[in-house]
Amino acid sequence: MSSTTTAGTAPVGSGDVVVRLRGIGKTFPGVIANHDIDIEVRRGTIHAIVGENGAGKSTLMKILYGVQKPDSGTIEIDGEQVSFSSPSDAIAHGVGMVFQHFMLADNLTVLENVVLGAERLHGIGDAAREEIRRLSATYGLDIDPDDLVADLGVGARQRIEILKVLYRGARIIILDEPTAVLVPQEVEEMFDNLRGLKAEGLAVIFISHKLDEVLSVADTVTVVRRGTTVATLPGDSVTSRQLAELMVGSELPSPSTEASTVTDVEVLEVADLCLPDPAGGRPLLSDVSFAIHRGEILGIAGVEGNGQAELVESIMGMRPAATGRIELNDGDIAGWSTRRRREAGIGYIPEDRHRQGLLLDAPLWENRILGHQTRRPNVKGPFIDRAGARADTERIVEAYDVRTPGIDTLARALSGGNQQKLIVGREMSGEPSLLIAAHPTRGVDVGAQAAIWDHIKQARREGLAVLLISADLDELIGLSDTIKVLLRGRIVGTFDPARVTPQQLGSAMTGATEEETQS
Amino acid sequence: MTDSRMTRIALAVAAPVLALVTAFVITSVVLILAGDDWLGVWGQILSWPSNRTMVNIVNSATVYYLSAVAVAIGFRMNLFNIGVDGQYRVASFAAAWVAGEAWLPGYLNIVLALLAGMFVGAMWAGIAGLLRVTRGVSEVISTIMLNAIATAVVAYFLRKVAIRTEGSNIISTKPIAEESRIPGIPFLGGEIYGFVVVAVLVGVAYWVVINRTRFGFDLRAAGQNESAAVASGIDVKRMILVTMLLSGAAAGLVGMPLLFGQDYAYGSTFQSGLGFAGIAIALLGRNHPVGIALGALLFAFLDQQSNPLQILLDVSPDIVKVTQGVIVLAVVIAYEVVRRYGVRIEQRQVAAALDAETREKEVSA
Amino acid sequence: MRRLNKLTAVAAVAALVFAGAGCAKKSTDDSASGSDDCVEKGDVKVGMAFDVGGRGDQSFNDSAAAGLDKAACELGFEVKDAEAQDGEPESAREERLQQLVDAGYNPVIAVGFAYSAAVGKVAAANPDVNFAIVDDAVEGDNITNLLFAEEQGSFLVGAAAALKTETDNIGFIGGVDTELIRKFEAGYRAGAEAVNPDIKIQSVYLTNPPDFSGFADPAKGNTAATGMFDKGADIVYHAAGGSGGGLFEAASEQGKWAIGVDSDQAKTADESVRDSILTSMLKNIDVAVYDFLKSVADGEPKTGPQVYDLSVDGVGYSTTGGHVDDIADQLEEYKQQIVDGEITVPSK
Repeated sequence: MSSTTTAGTAPVGSGDVVVRLRGIGKTFPGVIANHDIDIEVRRGTIHAIVGENGAGKSTLMKILYGVQKPDSGTIEIDGEQVSFSSPSDAIAHGVGMVFQHFMLADNLTVLENVVLGAERLHGIGDAAREEIRRLSATYGLDIDPDDLVADLGVGARQRIEILKVLYRGARIIILDEPTAVLVPQEVEEMFDNLRGLKAEGLAVIFISHKLDEVLSVADTVTVVRRGTTVATLPGDSVTSRQLAELMVGSELPSPSTEASTVTDVEVLEVADLCLPDPAGGRPLLSDVSFAIHRGEILGIAGVEGNGQAELVESIMGMRPAATGRIELNDGDIAGWSTRRRREAGIGYIPEDRHRQGLLLDAPLWENRILGHQTRRPNVKGPFIDRAGARADTERIVEAYDVRTPGIDTLARALSGGNQQKLIVGREMSGEPSLLIAAHPTRGVDVGAQAAIWDHIKQARREGLAVLLISADLDELIGLSDTIKVLLRGRIVGTFDPARVTPQQLGSAMTGATEEETQS
Repeated sequence: MTDSRMTRIALAVAAPVLALVTAFVITSVVLILAGDDWLGVWGQILSWPSNRTMVNIVNSATVYYLSAVAVAIGFRMNLFNIGVDGQYRVASFAAAWVAGEAWLPGYLNIVLALLAGMFVGAMWAGIAGLLRVTRGVSEVISTIMLNAIATAVVAYFLRKVAIRTEGSNIISTKPIAEESRIPGIPFLGGEIYGFVVVAVLVGVAYWVVINRTRFGFDLRAAGQNESAAVASGIDVKRMILVTMLLSGAAAGLVGMPLLFGQDYAYGSTFQSGLGFAGIAIALLGRNHPVGIALGALLFAFLDQQSNPLQILLDVSPDIVKVTQGVIVLAVVIAYEVVRRYGVRIEQRQVAAALDAETREKEVSA
Repeated sequence: MRRLNKLTAVAAVAALVFAGAGCAKKSTDDSASGSDDCVEKGDVKVGMAFDVGGRGDQSFNDSAAAGLDKAACELGFEVKDAEAQDGEPESAREERLQQLVDAGYNPVIAVGFAYSAAVGKVAAANPDVNFAIVDDAVEGDNITNLLFAEEQGSFLVGAAAALKTETDNIGFIGGVDTELIRKFEAGYRAGAEAVNPDIKIQSVYLTNPPDFSGFADPAKGNTAATGMFDKGADIVYHAAGGSGGGLFEAASEQGKWAIGVDSDQAKTADESVRDSILTSMLKNIDVAVYDFLKSVADGEPKTGPQVYDLSVDGVGYSTTGGHVDDIADQLEEYKQQIVDGEITVPSK
């Protein structure tokens, strides 16, 4: 697919160089910094920048967008050397950025959102409205200036963000992980939009770590590893495997299902789980029922905000309003406190480790205790067993390959992947019978991702039941024994990962097909 | 491992030192601008205290210490108990009344009065805790209001039970009988409150409970990251209530050294404002029992050493309020600066350690 | 001077926030050195320890300071004063007195009942030094108690209010609800009811101890006074120190009467409101302080309780403005009855 779409339109090397970064360097204490970055972006091309998390992509883009100043090196825009001290400098030179997290006011219209902060360009009235219509038509963005943003979906919101930077005169557009929030169908639509921008002679810089997507749209790919550019390749003559190996500098892991270890012993049974919306709207969960057996991984797919977090929190006992039956190892746990559920053998990898999983300003060994503060080896009677907790933290650090100078290091100082490995190690200890893993590899580097996958698979072989929530469809398909799709708080489909495609899942996730494919 | 510990200790000391220097400079500037004899002022404040002053410093610090520990208990779980002031006044009054009634003989009377004080302090703080968990009322607002209510309640009840002496404008509870007083401890020719021992025990208990027990872990976890605490199985609402009760109980002890070691009654001249000093000292001492002790001694030292300024140099001792205020402001800022610096150092160490590790691997591979 | 005070005030803001500090620095430069009539300085050094507020509180501290300054000038004393800090420990008060003693000051005068215990203790420890304390009866061989019959003076202004009111509705504002201020109210009530047993008397206290801001908060005084006027009072008496300024403003705006306290406030209040001051209850702390210092100068320091009542004109009422001239006969008659013991004024 990738070769057909890119080869015809804009071959590598076409157009003038509009952005030239030479020898860019930036040092932050503790963070992998940029050094010797060299990139050339040409007019009328889509230039992808790939690299694992923490490789330095974001810093690089912040430098280009004027958020941070490089310590060394030069930036040239249209052949002219520039020095940006703020994003407004960047915009003045035609460089615009679309962030991963949208910055839109829901209760305003598209027009109001677009002109906000740029009132001087075309006013706030009909002239502005006209300009938005013109841009929308020129680039095929399909946006009506008078729509209320609250009524629009994720894809449309992203197009508004793109329109916002075009409106401000950008000729070079940086997109930071634009597909992270989209389902596969929306991704395709967005790529069409990008091709539209390219055809109009704009330069698009596209940051991602999803290699297949990158290859389907990019004309040129630059790989960043450990803070520097390691290769720049034409998009049509490289495979994702090659890119991945350049990214990690070694052989690439992949989540591949192994022989089924599913037994017929039920570990968790959820029946008719309902959770009303405290604000009085549509129930957050309605009649969710499923069972997980020993040795089974049940994957839950869904666009974010369709009840996944609520489902997890209901099972963990953090949602007192939830009704229905929850049985763990044949005992009803519905009325239990979170602590009692944990003690009964539920391990929990929360979706947001900074918010729910860690005490960032506490040392690793104290984080080891979190969630297990009533169990050995962390406590003796009412007292914390420091020696026991520390020894066990050493064990986790060793067994789960947590890269840290020591267990007295503050959790904050670790990289995301290492923080997550610590959490996984912690939640796997105490011989849980059920593991709830919400986005277990979100925001971690490829190495840590593979390690976490291995640990989950290993635990499954040993008879653990796993409830896996993920936005990464490859991860879901690769790990799960069964996949269920959650849409607006209901389970709308059950799929066999061996046979389902990401597209099919995508349809179910967006409600395009309500039919259930029985596995 | 020990390395990062050493760094952390060094950084912990750096912040207060930085703050003290800042406070010294700013206070000096104020003195110079006001045309006062700034060298003379510092000469007096920083002179070696007389034995009498030493005794006063220790006594004053004892009271500050208890107040700051009460505040710190709340701080450790992100509860701003601004109401220690009201809590200790209500509790002191209650304890003084109980002790004055002398239902039990001798030392038993002291124990009963202390328990009464702690109970009343805990209940008074518990009101704020209850409002927070049931109604979501910020404890900052409710404790401030409870301070005002405490003033009125104590004034009302004091008037009810007070004894009056002819010609005196002071009203107070019945004085505590001789045998139910806490004897002082001889110190540098004077006497310090016997309650110093209790204060030290409170400090030790505070440290053990917070740092060494499951309960303390839950409390700190809830303070550092409430949602992580919930996910780890901590009943945060219960923790809020219990923490407020503990903080209030500790606040109940604040007035006890004064009651049993000096005034022997609660009256209209009972020392006020101790709760607010406690907030500043808890901030200064970073909620650490030893840090708080040093902070309390520092504040007491500044208070006592500045007292003669007016007599010797015609400079109002209010100037040390400026110093104390600046210390607290500066220390808050300095801690944040130092904390960030510490995190950066640590991240650098992590990065360095990992670099070395990866390099080894690459070499061996 | 103003500029400097401002600077310190600004700097004190930080302290206020965290330490709940009291006032900005006050200078003692204005102590009676301005007059050329003063006698040569002798070798007697007088120390005075003020209560919270110190010089400039427009209330009893100032009154005591006036007596001290007068003595300094006319008797040739060297003087030194120091004021209390809000929320200070008992030990600080003791220390203040002891330091004055250590620095050679004798006699030492403590202003306010807060010094009661401290004076008792320090006087016992320093038997060779003479102490005086205002408003408190603490006993000791070397202690003089300067006591006032505030209820008697208040009786007279209460009678004046009852005689002058047209609505039979008067008010009393106490600064802080202490025993001392309650004496003012008791006398005022008795005086008013002696004239008209059915008179309506509104009463309010601005704050409760240990919140002493009621003595220094004109806004609170204004609010309380306005409330009383709205409820039909036409004369309001205050025993609220600096908060009384708020009463005067309210009275001036509404065309009602105010009664001042401690000193002749028709002479000391802001000029714009002086016409609204019917009379003032005089509590002559300055006289008492001067008398005590005079006895020291004469080589026979007084000891024991010195009660300043109507009979020695230690308390009284002022006639500035002539607003009470028409009832002067009646007031003098009441005064005589009190002095003769025909009327006993309650003090609580």
